Amino acid sequence: MPSDPKHTSGDQAAAQQRFLSLFLRSEWEVFRYVAALVPNQADAEDIVQQTALALWEKFDDYDPARPFTPWACRFALNKARQWMERRQRWQALLTEGLAEELANRREELRPELERRLRHLDSCLGKLSEDQRTLVEGYYHRRTGIDALAGESGRTVEATYKVLQRVRHALRLCIESAVQQDGATL
Amino acid sequence: MNLLFPSREFDDAVAAVCHGVATDEQMGALNVLLHGNPTARDEYLLRVELHSRLASDPDLFSSTSVKAADSDLNGLRSSRAPNIVPLPPRAPHRRQVVSWAIGSAACFLILAAVGVTWFKRPSSRKPTSMAVAVLSQAVAPRWNSRADALAVGTALEPGWLRLKSGLVQVTFYSGARLVIEGPAQVQLVSPGKAFCQAGRVVAVVPAQARGFRVGTPQVEVADLGTAFGLDVKRGSAEVHVFKGEVEYQGRAATKQSLKEGRAVVVDESEVARQASADPAAFASLFDLERKWLAMLALRYEDWRAASARRNQDPSLLARFDFEDIAASGWALHNGAAGLSGVPDATIVGCQATEGRWPGKRALEFRSMSDRVRFGVPGEFRALTLSAWVNVKGLDREFNSLFMCDGFAPGTIHWQIRNDGVLDLGVQGPRPVDVQILVSPAVVGFNQFGQWLHLAVVVNGEHRQVVHYVNGTAVSRHALKHSPPYRLGPAELGNWNPGEFPHKPPLLIRHFSGAMDEFTLFNRALSDADIQALYSEGKPQPDL
Repeated sequence: MPSDPKHTSGDQAAAQQRFLSLFLRSEWEVFRYVAALVPNQADAEDIVQQTALALWEKFDDYDPARPFTPWACRFALNKARQWMERRQRWQALLTEGLAEELANRREELRPELERRLRHLDSCLGKLSEDQRTLVEGYYHRRTGIDALAGESGRTVEATYKVLQRVRHALRLCIESAVQQDGATL
Repeated sequence: MNLLFPSREFDDAVAAVCHGVATDEQMGALNVLLHGNPTARDEYLLRVELHSRLASDPDLFSSTSVKAADSDLNGLRSSRAPNIVPLPPRAPHRRQVVSWAIGSAACFLILAAVGVTWFKRPSSRKPTSMAVAVLSQAVAPRWNSRADALAVGTALEPGWLRLKSGLVQVTFYSGARLVIEGPAQVQLVSPGKAFCQAGRVVAVVPAQARGFRVGTPQVEVADLGTAFGLDVKRGSAEVHVFKGEVEYQGRAATKQSLKEGRAVVVDESEVARQASADPAAFASLFDLERKWLAMLALRYEDWRAASARRNQDPSLLARFDFEDIAASGWALHNGAAGLSGVPDATIVGCQATEGRWPGKRALEFRSMSDRVRFGVPGEFRALTLSAWVNVKGLDREFNSLFMCDGFAPGTIHWQIRNDGVLDLGVQGPRPVDVQILVSPAVVGFNQFGQWLHLAVVVNGEHRQVVHYVNGTAVSRHALKHSPPYRLGPAELGNWNPGEFPHKPPLLIRHFSGAMDEFTLFNRALSDADIQALYSEGKPQPDL
């Protein structure tokens, strides 16, 4: 543990505040960065939490002249690697440098991803009531899959399948919106 | 298990990974597929991004909770609850599951404000413009204030031009041209209408812009295919018709026509007195074209003198001024050849075009095979790249400026991304170790068609990369990879993948636009050096 250079609790609180305001602005970005490697929400959040701890520990090293998010993402990549080491299943997916390749390629693809995902809002609007309730429960309220299955009277299997189908529908809707973008330019 | 793409099995495996229920088999098979198939990998990234965006953009579900965050902090708090981060006081136990342990309400207010702005999503609107005209020429313009200053080539939206002295020409989208001499205050109203509050203007109106109108406090002039002058002073307006015919109308009076060679003076009493037109009084305005060309020629001369000095700089590796390109030639002379040992370059495709000044050559990149190839042997502790470019559009995902072949260790790739950011990639020891340093978005619709000075400095000693636009630093980045940097075979305006083990098809990444100067130094230029480089080469004197 490095020696704590902050002597008073007032300094500590100020640093904490500064850190939080920076981290909060980057949090979702870091989450998506991690999720590109470990897409499962709960696991990705776990890694983001550990990343936040590591960032706070090293916050003295942070140079405020540089952007925070890339700094945070470097930590996140390390944390994801450590996390993977203890989970063989994920190792099987991300081994042989695929983690780095995905992270780099995602960076390259960003404009393309943004161009598509800006249609997500309007495409969500086209879902049926039932589909929307499920998506909102799963992604927004973070209701567990068992509870969601119970609510809708489906099996867990079937609930996952519906989520997969809804994402597929969103994917198609986005693609057609992107095509239209091109056509009307 | 063997996965194909596209296939139902692939779809199921990606979904299972997203839900965290994938089997070892699915994971392993995905790994193999994503390694070997770039299309599958990109599709995978897109699906995962869609999934993670749903999980991380509360605005998407704003009707239920987060819109309330503007006024209701609890709404924001609950929407953030899933991403609770423990914050121990600098003596972290590895796992602490606590909520934001922040006692201070004031602190939470700050956080809430940060959160609210962050969640604003980028606008999905298509690019639009309100512009009605373009500033097409200017000679020694002095504007009323810094805020009023405009560069030649700027698209002008309805609003006021406030000129203290000098001459400017505004070309309306209708085709009408208005030459304005300062001091003047002129309002652009629409493609077919302007209003002159004070000052002297000459309107040249071609047939297709017939009906172009210029208002003044005293009188409105409608053109009937002409050239006419207006002199608007406090309390009076003079209309002189040099060619064709106009119609004018005072505030209370009926429309009157005014023929070529005639003039009318309307004063405060609304009395109109006719006289002969006096072209001599507007001579300075008719002289704009000549003065403009003289100014450009002078700038070109100044640049040539500076250019000859530049070629003596011992830190030059390559300097292409594009002065000597012939219509059918394919050799491009390296002005620094004598010093650096970097041979002349070879032009593949491309078109000769006009550069920053009349008579100055430039090279236009238009088709996907257009490029300039050259080779830079050696290893470097630092590099500076500088180019004058005229971007026609950013149609491709990546638009190449200077690109080393392939992804060899220590090489660099300088390009403009289609969202307008400058992108410098620096290769580490392995292909996956690329560090990408991107500026904010700096090239957009307002920059297209204008000469821009772009530069990037790779400073190995200070481990820093700086992007510049028109002499000013736009972003600074920490550089991860240490020197030496190597360039080797490289291209302007395109990319050769070299030995990179990527199967075709390759992304098309040619530059779309013109380049009329490219300079490569083996040292890190300072901010002041870059500013000087810009000043030497800027197309017109400063505003």
